[in-house]
Amino acid sequence: MTNFKQIEENLKKEAKKLLEAGSVAVVLAYTKGADEKHPQPFAAKKADDVANIIFNEYCNHNLARYIVRYAPGTKIAVAVKAADSRAVVVLIQEEKIKRENLILLGIPVSGMKNQKTGEIIDEKTTGGLTNPVVYDVLLGEEIHTGKPVSPYTVLEQYEKMDKDARFAFWKAQFDKCIRCYACRKACPMCYCDPCFIDQTKPRWADKSPQSHGNLMYHLTRFQHLAGRCIDCGECTRACPVDIPLYLFHKKVAKDCEEMFKQAAGMKIEDKLVMVDFRVEDSDKILE
Amino acid sequence: MAASVLKKVVIEKINEVAAVLMQKGTLIAPVKEEAGANFREIKDPKDIYLDYYNSILSPKMVFFPQMEDFVKYQLAKPKADAKIVEMNLKPAFLFGVRPCDVKSFEILDKHFYASGIIDTYWKARRDNTTIIGYAFDLDKPVDSADFYNTLGIGAADPEGSDIFIVKKDKELLLKGITKKGEALLGELSMLEKADAKDEKYFTDYVKKGKEKKTRFMKVDDKAVAKKYEDIFENNEYWTKMSDACLSCGVCTFVCPTCYCFDICDETIFGKGTRRRIWDACMFTDFTLETSGHNPRTKVSQRLRQKVCHKYSFSVRKYDVISCVGCGRCTRSCPVNIDIYSMVEEATKL
Amino acid sequence: MEFEPKILGIACNWCTYTGADLAGTTRLKYPQNLRVVRVMCSSRINPSFIFRAFQLGADGVLVGGCHPGDCHYNTGNLYARRRLAVTKKILDFAGLEPSRFRVEWISASEGNKFAEVVKEFTEHVQILGPQTKFKIAGVS
Repeated sequence: MTNFKQIEENLKKEAKKLLEAGSVAVVLAYTKGADEKHPQPFAAKKADDVANIIFNEYCNHNLARYIVRYAPGTKIAVAVKAADSRAVVVLIQEEKIKRENLILLGIPVSGMKNQKTGEIIDEKTTGGLTNPVVYDVLLGEEIHTGKPVSPYTVLEQYEKMDKDARFAFWKAQFDKCIRCYACRKACPMCYCDPCFIDQTKPRWADKSPQSHGNLMYHLTRFQHLAGRCIDCGECTRACPVDIPLYLFHKKVAKDCEEMFKQAAGMKIEDKLVMVDFRVEDSDKILE
Repeated sequence: MAASVLKKVVIEKINEVAAVLMQKGTLIAPVKEEAGANFREIKDPKDIYLDYYNSILSPKMVFFPQMEDFVKYQLAKPKADAKIVEMNLKPAFLFGVRPCDVKSFEILDKHFYASGIIDTYWKARRDNTTIIGYAFDLDKPVDSADFYNTLGIGAADPEGSDIFIVKKDKELLLKGITKKGEALLGELSMLEKADAKDEKYFTDYVKKGKEKKTRFMKVDDKAVAKKYEDIFENNEYWTKMSDACLSCGVCTFVCPTCYCFDICDETIFGKGTRRRIWDACMFTDFTLETSGHNPRTKVSQRLRQKVCHKYSFSVRKYDVISCVGCGRCTRSCPVNIDIYSMVEEATKL
Repeated sequence: MEFEPKILGIACNWCTYTGADLAGTTRLKYPQNLRVVRVMCSSRINPSFIFRAFQLGADGVLVGGCHPGDCHYNTGNLYARRRLAVTKKILDFAGLEPSRFRVEWISASEGNKFAEVVKEFTEHVQILGPQTKFKIAGVS
């Protein structure tokens, strides 16, 4: 089990050091929201802000989401958990940020909890990882649970489903959508301006919250995140009506991994699978 | 107060009440869904879910649905062929609204018709609906996000409802608050007459409701409005508040007092509908102008709009804070931004 | 009456569209259910086109491009292959029959193949029946 207090202390210490030395303009971490159980992403900009930093089992938010908000060239330190570090890797691959402008404060964790339900989310939405894939400073001991978890086991029951049942399942889920766009806003990979759904020329889908517009919005988003989604699960936790978007993203990630033999955001040197090709890619993938 | 009508019914029998209301018109009540309760039209009385704290989406959607069709038309056909979409309203019964949400209807009334400009859709639905309020369960703890006390609302305030319900062990006490409500109570024959003890229980419950404590700070409408005018250009405050904000639309969509909408024409193969859908000041394209200019490009500007609209502009325009402290925005926010803390911090500046 | 499917064809200018032309000039017969849209390259196809086509009433979508290695722009169809493979998986997981969407490599000289593919695909979609899952209610 992770020692959250220890990580919080280390995080504060590192953040203080960085801000005092002026080596970064901002440290992205967490602070107290309405209470301890509801932490909030936090941008510490002065050494005095550091006292407000916290870290506990509810600090799920993927802070990589905020990186693109700062002007290019800004030096940023980010606290990254396993999935978050993969998001940072994808952002580097996509040239949204340069590695040299980042200081990654790695956090190895297990036992993170969903703040709405209190359930442990590790095996659901961390891509089966506990340690960040890339970091400059590690704020705790690496965790090796011994048993590698496949992030895709949750998919089994849905893959087994009959097509019609699966369509009915997703239709019911997408019909709940109120188009608040929390999923795309919480997503570290969704930074397009404008998002395709906000475009009017052409208008890809209706803006009204009806079945067809919702379907178009979500399917296109799944396609846009193919080979980029790093399975942090933020879209699902952000959703006010509990649409299990992570399942679909996982499925696409799984298919990409099987077809192109590469998981998203594992190595900075990798090329994203959707902007890459192999002449020897098999036509079988189209069957 | 004149001898008003108080009736009672055992909770199990609520299905019978529901069945009668469904015959009379449309019954809208809380229904249990995956994410929590929501107000939906009841098709089967068994769906009614009374053991809820509060709904995820606010009941404003009963009067102001997320999508409302106005006109149907065909491109390349004369204007005269366009058809106005009829509302076809049946009498509606909105069952189980918490006191803070009842208050929100009053606030929205100011915007949708009391200001002189009448939104016929809102008004038609409003006039057509009997509101059956339901006190918070005083034996249960208050959700940590709620702060309706701050806005002067009690956990069992009957004002604004047509009928108000409080829970007494295994019974519900129903009191007619308005003429409309009293008349309806008279028509529900399965209700039993309440005795003097019940009368006392009801009065005490309402009183006790006032003592039920949510988060509280002293807020003077005028003072807080002035405060926000003063700090409108305080970038430090707004940046700090919005550092975490994702600028999604959850808070505005679940809010009982947010009323912004967009009117759009949606056409498929020449068949079009002009409709209004909810819009939110938190969206980037909310203020996007045809020229391409956008006066609110920063998250801090959009968050400022939202908070100032509720706590400042609304006071200036309608003399009321556009917030009822239901805590929905705080509960639903993906990054736990809390409007109460924001106001608290502003008053300290 | 037998079900006549509506099939959207999206064909690349350099190979499949020219192949279709050849099928026409050599007077080959193939079902008239296909409506072809010409694009400059199969990689120009936005996956949303395919979702949208199904929403607007297509019973099947057929994408045609140059054989891998023969792309007029060298690598366009190699990107398209990956992209459309993902689209197909998405359709599948969303619950639509993935065989309603087909990608074929047809060169400019393969008029015969074009006619055969269209014939075979049309028959296949005919067996699957009308596509109702994605179709927007009221679209005819």
